[in-house]
Amino acid sequence: MKLKWILLTAFVSAQIGIARAQDAAVSGMNSDIDALKKEIQALEQKVDALEQQKTQQQSTTQVEDLDQHVRILERKREIDEENAAATAKTQPKISVGPDGVKLSSADTNFVFNLHGLVQLDSRNFYNAPVKGVDGFILRRARPIFTGTVYHDFDFNLTPDFGGNTVQVLDAYANYRNRPEFQVQAGKFKSPVSLEQLQSDPVTAFNERSLVNDLVPNRDLGADVHGDLFGGVASYAAGIFNGAPDYSGTTTNSDYDNNKAFVGRVFFQPFKPTSISFLQGFGFGIGGSYEADHGSATGASGLTSGYTTDGQQKFFTYTNGVFASGTHWRLDPQANYYWGPLCVAGEYVISDQQVAKGAAKTDLRNRAWDVTAGWVLTGESASYTGITPAHPFDPRKGQWGAVQIVGRYADLDVDNKAFPVFANPNTAASSAHAWSAGVNWFLNKNIRVNASYSHTIFAGGNGTGATVTKNPEDVFFTRVQLVF
Amino acid sequence: MKTFLKIFAIVLALASCTQAREIKLLNVSYDPTRELYLDYNAAFTKYWKAKTGDDVKIDQSHGGSGKQAQSVIQGLEADVVTLALAYDIDAIAQQSKLLPADWQKRLPNDSTPYTSTIVFLVRKGNPKNIKDWDDLIKPNIKVVVPNPKTSGGARWAYLAAYAYALEKNSRDDAKAKEFIKALYKNVPVLDSGARGSTITFVDHGIGDVLLAWENEAHLALKEYGADKFEIVTPSLSILAEPPVAVVDKNAKRHGTTEVAQAYLQYLYSDEGQEIAARNFYRPRNEAVAKKYADNFAQLKLVTIDQEFGGWKKAQETHFADGGTFDQIYQQ
Repeated sequence: MKLKWILLTAFVSAQIGIARAQDAAVSGMNSDIDALKKEIQALEQKVDALEQQKTQQQSTTQVEDLDQHVRILERKREIDEENAAATAKTQPKISVGPDGVKLSSADTNFVFNLHGLVQLDSRNFYNAPVKGVDGFILRRARPIFTGTVYHDFDFNLTPDFGGNTVQVLDAYANYRNRPEFQVQAGKFKSPVSLEQLQSDPVTAFNERSLVNDLVPNRDLGADVHGDLFGGVASYAAGIFNGAPDYSGTTTNSDYDNNKAFVGRVFFQPFKPTSISFLQGFGFGIGGSYEADHGSATGASGLTSGYTTDGQQKFFTYTNGVFASGTHWRLDPQANYYWGPLCVAGEYVISDQQVAKGAAKTDLRNRAWDVTAGWVLTGESASYTGITPAHPFDPRKGQWGAVQIVGRYADLDVDNKAFPVFANPNTAASSAHAWSAGVNWFLNKNIRVNASYSHTIFAGGNGTGATVTKNPEDVFFTRVQLVF
Repeated sequence: MKTFLKIFAIVLALASCTQAREIKLLNVSYDPTRELYLDYNAAFTKYWKAKTGDDVKIDQSHGGSGKQAQSVIQGLEADVVTLALAYDIDAIAQQSKLLPADWQKRLPNDSTPYTSTIVFLVRKGNPKNIKDWDDLIKPNIKVVVPNPKTSGGARWAYLAAYAYALEKNSRDDAKAKEFIKALYKNVPVLDSGARGSTITFVDHGIGDVLLAWENEAHLALKEYGADKFEIVTPSLSILAEPPVAVVDKNAKRHGTTEVAQAYLQYLYSDEGQEIAARNFYRPRNEAVAKKYADNFAQLKLVTIDQEFGGWKKAQETHFADGGTFDQIYQQ
């Protein structure tokens, strides 16, 4: 029995021991599991961190790649722009504007300009029996080619399809290395008269004054010319074939071996000063000298006639009269521009030795004019024209510039011309003309003007029907396009 | 009257003899020589004044070497040209006849008073671990180099890479082409000149490596700081020989022949060589080269003549229209 209890006790103790051992083992396992869990968690955190890091790295790489991509695109655009700018420098340039069409080589060594001038006039005469034809006239129609080659060589080629003849009006080259000293050769305006030298599109009236009858127009030759001291003084001196008085249609060759010496100086002493009301004052003198020798049967070497504002001849030499000796001109001149005001005038003497058969004499013809204008719209007047401050555009309420102009001119033929060298029944010994007009500058390119001229004559009122029998009254209009 | 005229003439002659003249020279050069010639012009002006009493004003014009040569051909009135490679001056001689065809014989060392080479400029720390040409064709590398069509430096760089590829591939030209094709595949931007590429790499932060003139790389370090970039010298590169020449007809027309010749000859003087070395151009003068040896890494340098049969052949093969560069870059 005792043994039974001993065995039972031992068995129970053993069971208890086992149970305790098992408890201990279970307890150890649980702590291991916890530790493992912690490790797993830590590992999971690490994995998460690594994944995040990787994602961040990928994002950073992507951002960097994107950044590079953007930078590359920007730089490519810059390079494209630089290349385009560089290419543009090597390409010829073309521009179109109020001053015409301009073509230029990339290095500006060669420049070519196309300008144009078209003047459609109307003339209406009011005195009979002999008067000009009423109607429209294409007064000037000129494509004007100008340009520069090798920087310093300018050229001008201007044909004129207006009037009744086609002629080469200007054709010259000008070497312009320095403004002070330029050399020009070809066919161009002989440098004598202030009014004649003014460009055709900007003259105050449709036709130049009676002074224009006594001065040379275009001529063939060469001159040196330039502007000194910033335009305070300008000069021109040259040798030409020699143009007769009023050469409406210019020739391209000479008729004799003698040449004309022509020169002009002009001063604008106040131009660089700050005295504004004197800055536009200029004065000067032009002149020419030639030994003319025409012939009774060939070229006379004389003017084809002196014309009125209406372009009618009021004085011509009789048949058989020819140039026979010296022909000189003297032409003091001045102009004044101050704001909208312009005043210009000149006095010219044309002294010509003429002959007819055995008769020979020295004729001293004189002419003068004064022209004045006022720009009603306030723009500044100048020798080179008026630019409207507000070009014509009714939609904007802009109407361009308006100028009123007036002129008095006088031409007196030497009385010694009559009756041997000119017919007193048909040729007037003098003409006196006044004119008034309105010029409307719609913009830089379009001008419309109207004017009235009244010219009275002394002499030339014989029994026949002559231009000079009655005063000339003529109403002009003009529509002008220039670019 | 005659006596007066004689006296006047003598006075005029004396005046013209004794009066110091101011002479103008135009040096048309390639892109990275701005700093070199700024220094050199100052030295030469001083030298010429001391020698003759005349003042010389030297204007500089810089751009891609090929473009500069074309400008001279088209009328840019250079008295002297200091370009990146002889081919560009040959082009001037052939196309415009402004100087004789044998211009390169007129000055020592085939008219190349200094030399240079092509190296790598990388960002500080060399983050892409670029050591040699092989590293440039790896997929993730962006290489910055100018257009060989317009830049002399780019042609030198192209040929340096090509020479490396030939050497590595036992002179297998097809493999060299594949190498150069892979390299230019990694070029995202082609500037027209070396200075433009430096701006792309340095200022715009584009790319991992700039293939640069040695002097241009040093200049970048000097100007932007060694803490931003570093130079990697490849195992092999090319001996770049930038030549100089008087443009005879222009100089004659300007009355500057004498001073133009002196201007180039003075590049060979000790002072001229020192200035070149200070600006990281390898001087021809051995003594000066020794003095500045630390400025220049030692590496294997091949020459255009040995490796490519001279500039004419290299130009026709690689850079002419339809040449290797056109083939590999268009593909």
